[in-house]
Order: sequence, then C-alpha cells, then structure tokens
Amino acid sequence: MIAEDSVLLREGLARLLGDAGFEVAGQCENADDLLLKVRSYPPDVVIVDIRLPPTHNDEGLRAALEIRAQHPSVGVLVLSQYVELGLAMKLLADSAEGVGYLLKDRISDVREFVAAVRRVADGGSALDPIIVSTLLSRRRQDDPLGDLTPREREVLELMAGGSSNQGIADKLVISLRAVEKYVSSIFGKLGLPSTGTESRRVLAVLLYLRS
Amino acid sequence: MVASALAWSATARVPHVPKSAIVWPVALAGLAAAGGPLTFALHSGAVPSELGEPLVISILAAWISASYVLCGLLAWSRRPASRFGPLMIVAGFVSFAATLSWTTNEVTFTFGQALDLLPPVLFLHVFLAFPSGRLSGRFERSLVAAAYATAISLELVRMVFGGFGPNNLLEVSPNPAVADQVLRIQLVLVSAYCLAGVGVLALRRLRAGRPRRRSLALLIDAFALALVMIAFLFLSAALDGPAVAQIRWATFAALGLAPLAFLIGLLHSRLARSAAGELLVELREDPEPADLRDALARALQDPSLALAYWLPEFERWADLDGHEVRLPAEDSARATTRIDREGASVAVLVHDPSLDDEPELLAAVSAGAAIALEHGRLHAELRARLGELRGSRARVLEAGQNERQRLERNLHDGAQQRLIALSLDLGLLEERLRDDLDAAARLHEARHEIALSLGELRDVARGLHPAVVSGHGLAVALESLAAHAAVPVRLTVELEGRVREQLEVAAYYVVAESLTNIGKHARAKSATVDVARVDGQVVVEIVDDGVGGADTERGSGLRGLADRVESLGGRLRVWTPRGGGTRVRAELPCV
Repeated sequence: MIAEDSVLLREGLARLLGDAGFEVAGQCENADDLLLKVRSYPPDVVIVDIRLPPTHNDEGLRAALEIRAQHPSVGVLVLSQYVELGLAMKLLADSAEGVGYLLKDRISDVREFVAAVRRVADGGSALDPIIVSTLLSRRRQDDPLGDLTPREREVLELMAGGSSNQGIADKLVISLRAVEKYVSSIFGKLGLPSTGTESRRVLAVLLYLRS
Repeated sequence: MVASALAWSATARVPHVPKSAIVWPVALAGLAAAGGPLTFALHSGAVPSELGEPLVISILAAWISASYVLCGLLAWSRRPASRFGPLMIVAGFVSFAATLSWTTNEVTFTFGQALDLLPPVLFLHVFLAFPSGRLSGRFERSLVAAAYATAISLELVRMVFGGFGPNNLLEVSPNPAVADQVLRIQLVLVSAYCLAGVGVLALRRLRAGRPRRRSLALLIDAFALALVMIAFLFLSAALDGPAVAQIRWATFAALGLAPLAFLIGLLHSRLARSAAGELLVELREDPEPADLRDALARALQDPSLALAYWLPEFERWADLDGHEVRLPAEDSARATTRIDREGASVAVLVHDPSLDDEPELLAAVSAGAAIALEHGRLHAELRARLGELRGSRARVLEAGQNERQRLERNLHDGAQQRLIALSLDLGLLEERLRDDLDAAARLHEARHEIALSLGELRDVARGLHPAVVSGHGLAVALESLAAHAAVPVRLTVELEGRVREQLEVAAYYVVAESLTNIGKHARAKSATVDVARVDGQVVVEIVDDGVGGADTERGSGLRGLADRVESLGGRLRVWTPRGGGTRVRAELPCV
C-alpha cells in the first residue's frame, strides 16, 4: 500500500512494485486515507511519504508510528527527501522489526529498493545508508570503532542498514561463513552481546552507535 | 491657558530692574505720604468723627499708605517684569491722596474728597491682579473699570450737590437729599463690586484645582476677607446700619497687612526661582533624562509635572520611551508650556495651571532645561527609531523566513519530486534494458547524475529552511546537527511539546552556526548543547572547551544570529575568554 501525495511518484512506485511482483492493494493521497485503508485490510507493507497533506509537516510520520503501534504485523517503510537521525530513532523506538526509513532517491535503484521493501514486509528493517554513515562518522572520545578493520566497518554499515547476513555476503561477494565471522568479531570489539534475530541486531548496533 | 500656550522662549528677555534713582525718592515720598494723615489728624482736626478715634484712624491710614508703597517697591525691584509692584505703589499713594480730604485747604480738600472712594476700588484691583499685576479675563477687567468709574464719577456728582462743608470747590447746587441718595447708590455699588471680586477670587481658586503652595495661597486668600469687610461697612453705612468703629479699624489693619502677604507670596516665588538656579547646577551634572522630569518637577514644585518631547520626523509628542503623548485640551485641568530652542519646539511641560501665575519661573526653568531637553528629545527620538527599527527588522526577517520556507516547499514539491520521478523512470528502464549493457550503463550514469543533483538540491533546500524543524521539532533536528558536528557533542533538549516555529528555527540556527564555528575555529575536544525552557524563555546554550577568543564582531555569523534572536525580543550573549573556551547563550521569550 502506498501513501504519497505526488501523483507522479505514486504512479511510478505502483508501477515499480507491480513489475517486481507486488500487489498494490491501495494508493492514498493523505495520512487519514492511509490509516483508514490499513484498518480495513492490513497489507504486508505500507510505503509512506513523511510529508503528507494537509500541512506537509509530520502527518506521514505520525501515521507510520500509529500503524507501527496498532498493526505490528504491517511493515512500514517511510520515504523522505531528508533523512534525520532523530526521526529514525523515533521510528525504531524499541524495535527494528518491519520498519524502514529511506531517502526517496533510493527508489530509482530498483533492485535495492525492491529488496528493502521485501525485507520490511518480511519483518526485517531497512535504514538509509546516510543514517548509518552519520552514526559512524560521529565523533566520540575513546572510539572503539577505530579498532575495526575496513572490512569490518563495511560489514557493520550493511548490518546497521538492516541487511541480512546473506545480503551482506552477496553484496561484498564473500561467503556467508566469512560474514558470520566478521559479525562476531565486530560484536566482540564493541563489547555487544550477540543477539538472535537480524532486526534485533540492527537496533542493538544503532543504539550502540548513537550512545 | 491661551497665554501659557504661547511659547515662553528659552531666551526670554530680561526685565528691567528699577534704578535706585527711582526707588529711593519713591520710598521717601511714600514715607512722607504716610506722615500726611498723621499730620492732618493732629493739626487740622478735620478727620471725620464718624470714622472713629481720629488718632487711631490716621495711624491706620498712614500704615496703609506706607505698607503699600514700601511693599510695592520691594515687589517691583524683586519682580521687575510684574506690574504688581507698581500697582501697589499707586494704591499706597492714592490712599494717601484720599486722606487729603482731611485737610482744610480748599484745593487739597476737593482733590482728596474726589478720590475718597478710590482706595477700596484700588484694593479690589490689587487683590484681583495678584501676582502678575494684570487682570485676566474680560469680566475682571470690566468689573474693575466699572468700580473705578463708579467711585470717581458718582463722587464728583455727589460733590456737585454739596454737603461737604465750605471747602468743596465743586459744589454747584446744594441739595443734601440728592447727595445722600447718590452716596447710598455709590456705597451699594462699590460693595457689590467688592463682593463680586471676592466671588472671582473664590472661583479662580476652585478652578485652579490643587494649589501648589496651599498654605500660602490660603494666607493670601484670607486677606480677601478685607474686601468683604469693606462691603459690609459700606452696606451698613448705605442702609443706616450700625457703624462699629472696631470693624473699621480691623478692616484698615487687614488692608494694611495684605501687602506683606503679597510680598511674602512674591518672595516665595523668588525662592522658587532660586530653585531654577539649582536646577541649572543639577543639569550641568548631565542627568539621565528620566531625572530631568524629576528635577523640573522639583524646581517648579509640581509633582504632577509631565514632560513630552517633540519628534519632528514623526510630527508628534512623545514621552521618554518614545510613546505618543496627547497634549491636554486648552480648557482642561492641565496647562502646557512649550519650550523652544532655536526657533523650534523641543518639548512641552504639562503642568498644574496654577504655575501660569508664575510665568517668569516657568521661563527661567524652561531656559535652563532647554539644553537638557534637547538631549532628552534626542533620546526619545532614538528610542522611537529603535522601536521602529526593531519592528522593521523583525518584519524583514520574518518576510525572509516565509519566503525561504515557500521556496523550500516549492523545491520539495516541484524540482525534487520531478527529479525523483525521472530517476525512477530511468531505473525502471535500466531494469528493462539489462541485456543492453551499453544502454544500462548509460542509464546508470544518468541516474547517478540525478542523484548528485538531488543531493545538491537537498543541501540548497536545507540551507533555505530547515524543514525538519517545522515538521518534527527542535529536538529531532538538533540530533542530526549534533551527530554531524566536528567534535563529540553532548546534546540535552528539555522542551516539552513544541514552541513557536520562529523560535525553533532561530534556536536551530544558533546551534547550527555555533557548531560550525566550533568546527572551524575553536580547536575544541568536545562541546555541549543544552536547550531548556526556563521562566517562559527557551534558553539555548552551546559550550566548547576550545581556545576561546572568538571574534564576535567580524564575520556575519554571530551578528546575523544576534539579529535573528533580537528580532524575536530575545538576547544573544557570547563569552569567549582567550584560552577559556566559548559559551554562546541565546534567550528567546516564548510569548
């Protein structure tokens, strides 16, 4: 389901998702319409623009948060022309399950985008690389990130963005086994307990990076 | 009121003090004149018996003449601009001249008798003319003129009909009955004038409201009783009532004491004028303009005094803070005196109307204050300008802000959306043409270019207006700022709910600019950003541990921030001791 006030983009998104094999259950122009439709027939995932009518302030975000609270089974992918760390933290709040927050530009990279939508629909997460790099570039005293090898850093970035181990392995063209090794090494260096699911892992890494 | 509205120029002309060549002869003549009644009483024995004991009455007459002449001389020399002194001198000599009727010489008797009823009228004139020596208003002038006419003309008519003995040169057709009737009419009329005069005085006192020097005014008013007593005596004589010698003596005594009261009154304002001198000394110390009003109020002894400055550019009167002041209407309970400098109005004193009685004091004080007033006026003008400037600065900033916000939204809804849609189309095309490697590569390249453009547009849009502040509040927006800062930043935002958007945007810019400065100049290891609501203000404080010594004047950054903060009625302060880090604190009122 798509909520986006620009017709051009809404249609474009619908076409993209249709081509990729998704069924677009509904297209909405504003947040109220979206909430109504989600209540009537909850989809697997909603894609929502952060700026929606009438004020174009935070209607989209509020709708996203409400759907996350009321319909935990519905994945929420928020699109925006700016990505803000503060908003990401708000969206994730206490769980990175079934949530995504991407810069709008990302939709043109069709494959990546479709993969992200699918991930969110399946209860995973998708965070924009800008957020992850913001967190990683953040200066801090006694930075344990400095201890990471470049390869570990790459893995960390992808991990924080919501990629699964398989996704990371595909992207870096390394074996799944190697990814697992890097991940446990990273967790060791940062002093984080290794957690089960991949989306829990995302939240743990984000919280660590943000602190 | 009309008279006082005329400008009392700061360069008021200095009145001529009577020369001693005039003063001494007049004084001697006065004393000689006072000796007259005594001489007549002792030698001629012609003092009318109905007046009572001749010696007592002649001493009282001498006393009246001397006191009017001498007090008049003193008043004249101390207040040369006032006609009151000369008026008193005339009254003294006329009351002497009237006692010439006690002589036996035909010429002097006739002259004295003709003036017989003039002294009471002169006393009336003196009482009404205090303290300026001028009669104000048509009624007062008509009253006094009628009294003079009655006193002289009816006396002459009476003398024509005789009844004054052998020395009356004017006796033409003796007819005592007619003469008696004329006398009665004369006495009744003069009594009526005196009572009317008392009425005028009472009315004047009522209208003046709260007198400045109440006790003195009451003392002077008390002597107006002498007029009532004259009226009583005359009516009593006209209606064949009882003639009580003691009342007559009391009247004479009161009339003779009145000049002293007048003199004290005049000298008192002389004292007030020395207060004007003190004012000058005080003003030389260059008082704060707020003190000027107080100093003037002290010098003029009018606590209710208000001061308004003329602002030529705004063409209105204003108080010290630049607020408009409306001058009281001409017939209201307040009087105004304008103060001019170099031909133009500088200020106006709004004061108690009783001060109009002392134009010289007003002129002296005004002259002394004119320079200080000019200073105060400039001050008021500055404030008014400042207020206007602050308003226009706020309007300019707000207009700019609105315009930037509009541009940002246009960019967001227009170019950015279109480019994203275009990029999406290219992406779809790229998927479809995957097999055509060359085409796919070109499309990928094109998409990359669009992504770069979008990145640049995003920066432009963010520079125009931090949409995230409007959309999601200060706390969210500051988080990214802190994360992107060049040094580790500890961010604390304690704001419940949202505040005014302009405030949030200003606070955002304060933090953004300060963090940029820290990255560029401070060589700091870390920084803290605290935002809190304290006493109805949003307080933003950015502290770093860098080298300090930041240049707060050059570089438009801090200056622009101060503009923004001040236009919202807030305050921006910077502490930047060399080697001691930099602290920027903005206080923004929530209202």
